[in-house]
Amino acid sequence: MSDLVTLSIPVSADLLVLVRLTAATVASRAGFDVEEIEDLRLAVDELCISLVNEGGGGRLELEFIRDAGLIEVSCTHRATSGDSVVDAVSDPSLEGLSARILDALVDAHGRDNRGGYERAWLRKQRARQQA
Amino acid sequence: MDETFDISEETRDGVSIVRAAGEIDIATAPALRGELEASIGRRPDVVVVDLLGVTFMDSTALGVLVGALKGCREAGCSMRIVVSDARVLKVFEITGLTELFSIFSALDEAVQG
Repeated sequence: MSDLVTLSIPVSADLLVLVRLTAATVASRAGFDVEEIEDLRLAVDELCISLVNEGGGGRLELEFIRDAGLIEVSCTHRATSGDSVVDAVSDPSLEGLSARILDALVDAHGRDNRGGYERAWLRKQRARQQA
Repeated sequence: MDETFDISEETRDGVSIVRAAGEIDIATAPALRGELEASIGRRPDVVVVDLLGVTFMDSTALGVLVGALKGCREAGCSMRIVVSDARVLKVFEITGLTELFSIFSALDEAVQG
């Protein structure tokens, strides 16, 4: 059975805690173990950072899709201005660190542009099979 | 200040200890960066970053620590990190930064070097 959870938040650094909380809840409901839940929390955080670090206000729209032990997360940045509202720690090398974290924690991740909006996504499969 | 994050600083035997607790993410990393810059600016021999109370950190936190290490080297001081939480240590390991930082599992060990 497939489940869809959506979350839409203003681009604001202190709201990423909500994204992590949602990720943990969805992963828990999907039967992920504690380590996998923590991995997904961090991976989804990195997904959002990769978008908000580029600046622009607007909103982050997230979709969490759970389907038989597989979770797909999509994060679209609907920017409305060129002004950053995030006090980001801007450093190009961060992108490399973020990519290494995602490489290690999820099965697949990527970026694309849909209708003029930047989107980042990831996919993570639960390791343990449920009885 | 974010309710999930605390930061403090103390000096012990000429060693500056910057202590963070809670979650270090894109919202709270700037506060860590500010405390580390202030600490390094006082030119101690050693800066110890105590992360024993940290429960979550992401690449923005790592970026701050890499920047602080660079600042320490330029200021002629050394930097040590204290981590014991497996989840936090994992972030250093998967990014290969355990090779870059001097990492200790106990504060006293880090202070004594």
